[in-house]
Amino acid sequence: MSDIKERSPNQLMAFGIFGGLIGIYLTLLLPLIGDIIGGPIADIIITIAPAFGALGGICAVMWGADAVRRVAKYGLGTGVPSIGQIAMGMGIIAATFGLAIVKTYIIAGPIVALVTASVIGFIIGWFAQNVIKMKIPVMIRCMTEIAAAGAIVIIGFSSAVAGNFEFNNIMLHVYDNGVMLAVFWVGAMAILHPFNACLGPDEKQKRLLYLAGSTGAITMAVIGIAAIMTLGTSGIITFLIGVVLWFIFYKKFWDEVYLDASSVVGTGLIPKTEA
Amino acid sequence: MVLDLTMSMAILALMGALATIAGCLEDLESDVGSQSNPNSQVQLAPQMGFLHRIYNKAVSGEPVSNGLSAVVAGTVTSVLLSQNYYSLTAIVIGAFVGAIILAIYATTSYAGRVASQARFKQPLYMDIMRYTTPTIMAHNFIMNFCLVAICYIQYEILGYPFTIPFLALIWGISAGAIGSSVGDVHYGGEREFQNREFGCGLNTALSGRIVRKAESGIRNSIDNVWFCAKFGGPVTGLALGLTVFFSSWPTTIWGYTWTAVGVGILIVLVFIILNRLLEISVRDAYGPYKEEKNEKEAKA
Amino acid sequence: MLAIEPSLLIEYVLLIAISGAFICAAVHFMPVGGAPAAMAQATGIGTGTVELAAGSGLVGLITASYMYANEPEASMVLVVAAGAMGSMIMLASAMFSGSLIYAFGVGVPFASAQVKKDPITGDRQDLYMSKGTQGHGIPTICFVSGIIGAALGGAGGGLIYFTLMQIYTPLIAASAAAVAGVFTMGVFYVNAVIPSYGVGGTIEGIHDPKFKRVIGKDIFTSFAISLICGIVAVLIAQGMVA
Repeated sequence: MSDIKERSPNQLMAFGIFGGLIGIYLTLLLPLIGDIIGGPIADIIITIAPAFGALGGICAVMWGADAVRRVAKYGLGTGVPSIGQIAMGMGIIAATFGLAIVKTYIIAGPIVALVTASVIGFIIGWFAQNVIKMKIPVMIRCMTEIAAAGAIVIIGFSSAVAGNFEFNNIMLHVYDNGVMLAVFWVGAMAILHPFNACLGPDEKQKRLLYLAGSTGAITMAVIGIAAIMTLGTSGIITFLIGVVLWFIFYKKFWDEVYLDASSVVGTGLIPKTEA
Repeated sequence: MVLDLTMSMAILALMGALATIAGCLEDLESDVGSQSNPNSQVQLAPQMGFLHRIYNKAVSGEPVSNGLSAVVAGTVTSVLLSQNYYSLTAIVIGAFVGAIILAIYATTSYAGRVASQARFKQPLYMDIMRYTTPTIMAHNFIMNFCLVAICYIQYEILGYPFTIPFLALIWGISAGAIGSSVGDVHYGGEREFQNREFGCGLNTALSGRIVRKAESGIRNSIDNVWFCAKFGGPVTGLALGLTVFFSSWPTTIWGYTWTAVGVGILIVLVFIILNRLLEISVRDAYGPYKEEKNEKEAKA
Repeated sequence: MLAIEPSLLIEYVLLIAISGAFICAAVHFMPVGGAPAAMAQATGIGTGTVELAAGSGLVGLITASYMYANEPEASMVLVVAAGAMGSMIMLASAMFSGSLIYAFGVGVPFASAQVKKDPITGDRQDLYMSKGTQGHGIPTICFVSGIIGAALGGAGGGLIYFTLMQIYTPLIAASAAAVAGVFTMGVFYVNAVIPSYGVGGTIEGIHDPKFKRVIGKDIFTSFAISLICGIVAVLIAQGMVA
């Protein structure tokens, strides 16, 4: 494996947790700041606030994708997608719990969700390692990380649709109209797809992270479309930022492909090999 | 909404027909891109020295990728419906957006997987990328349209408790699960190893040694879908159509009672018997591959 | 604070844990051969365990939820049976169509590698296995085992949905179905993935020696994790009261 210039797991974990949480909290803080400032700037701040939730979600997607990469390298026996599914399964349970349980202390919601997800992930990882006996050394750590990333992805993108992460608000804007399923599934794809798409002996972390950014940005664009239904203008902004980010990351991903691939040709016959 | 029996049967028939088309196109879409389980051979081929010109659409398993396109289509449709768009327009635009998203994922997986196989010298063919991706989109669009139409009927007319994106996700996953368990076998078991004798089974030693020559020229994914559309796709459609039809038919006729559940179980029993009859006829037709062991011992 | 009494809450938590165990058991019954089965190299359905269990179980969830929506007074058993029915029909139709492909598209007789004789029909299996494969197609024992699995999966999904509806409907009538549905999917996926790791991606069904070896610890794991999910589900209801 290419050990040169790889981002360490801790670096990405910090990026995912802090980036994710800052993004999520900005959806709540910016409107408050806007109320204090007042005037036309306040309107702008309040309108763009939900987009930060989605940006936080992208940070968590990149972290989650790297965690999937580390654990799926060992070969899970059921393909890469299963781990993305379980991540979002845990994430959605933990996120709903965390946001609902805090009641009036809304501000604690995402952190409670993060902790709950980590605990559930740790327990599942422990069971997988010690009861099912999967013999994957990084299982417990990665399962914990993936579950936590899943929870941040769910809360981040949900708050981009609902405007903030207050539970009744999310229930009204994300659960009732079924957008939660889009967050759930497109978010799961965003986490599991990068490693799945780059699977192979010459897989590189840099390419994978750019792809993770691109899948996260696609999720942001889709969520932006959904947010047009609930928030109007804010949704359009989320959508546009998502598309621009997607374009940047997708371009970077292709640059890496051109560098890494054996050859990129317009067309041609199959090169001669021994077979 | 309460409908009389004739009307509910008509709607059920319409749903069954839509599901049949959706199932068929779902399988063909996965064959165009070479996805799901048979793709493991396409992935393995360069390692065995068999470089190829087949798309490598590793957007995870079929259920997951179909769930993705269906849920995006369903979500966009609900957004448009909430803006008072005409329902048919909403479903068409939704299905188109779903197809675009899937196509983006498809391009990244083809490029990503080929780039990760650099050491086997597998080239990335841009012409394959350029004309296979729209074909994937076209197939996926029809599938999305049919599935979201089913969900629209179930939600708006039949009054299911789940919303359109939720139903779209479930039917998308289900269509994918059926597509990968039915139609893929035709692609993986027969088309990828068409140069072997029919009915010989596939020796594990042949893994990765896929056919790379087409009826004319070098085989690509469009040649594969041409073949699978003859049998694998339609049978997949049949499976999804039967699923949608029979899962609602008992309750439509007999109401929400134990009788309906009983009829459902009866249908399952009929399937078991049909499978058994098929098993007997196939065993007779192809015969045993090996001699009885006792005879071998007798010879020795 | 809550209208529901504690004894009932414990019952709900246990019901969710049992449904998790059902789903986990369901995966073990499904004759799933993974990628080799799609190439007619191994017995069973040519797809992954997680997705097949999910695909059939979620159809069961649709039928169960529709049954519940139309008969709100329906007994728990009826809702669960409706879920099992939908799930069984999906898998039966998928397996039968798969058989058609094995029979006429690939041209192989159905044979299992794990047993010498089909326990139900008594047919010899080993003679019908082609060279270099681990069996192919879906023999009767696998078919029946798969149907049992689908019934368990659909029943498990229906049971979680029913239980959650009991908890949430008094609190949030309008959103109850959505929250219960999403939560069911979450629990469903967690419980479908865990046994898939246990069986290592492929299993032939009830007659597979692997079945006896792993089912105990997998069900224990699923039960424990679903218990946590159940507790979380009940605690979410506490949050809804405020």
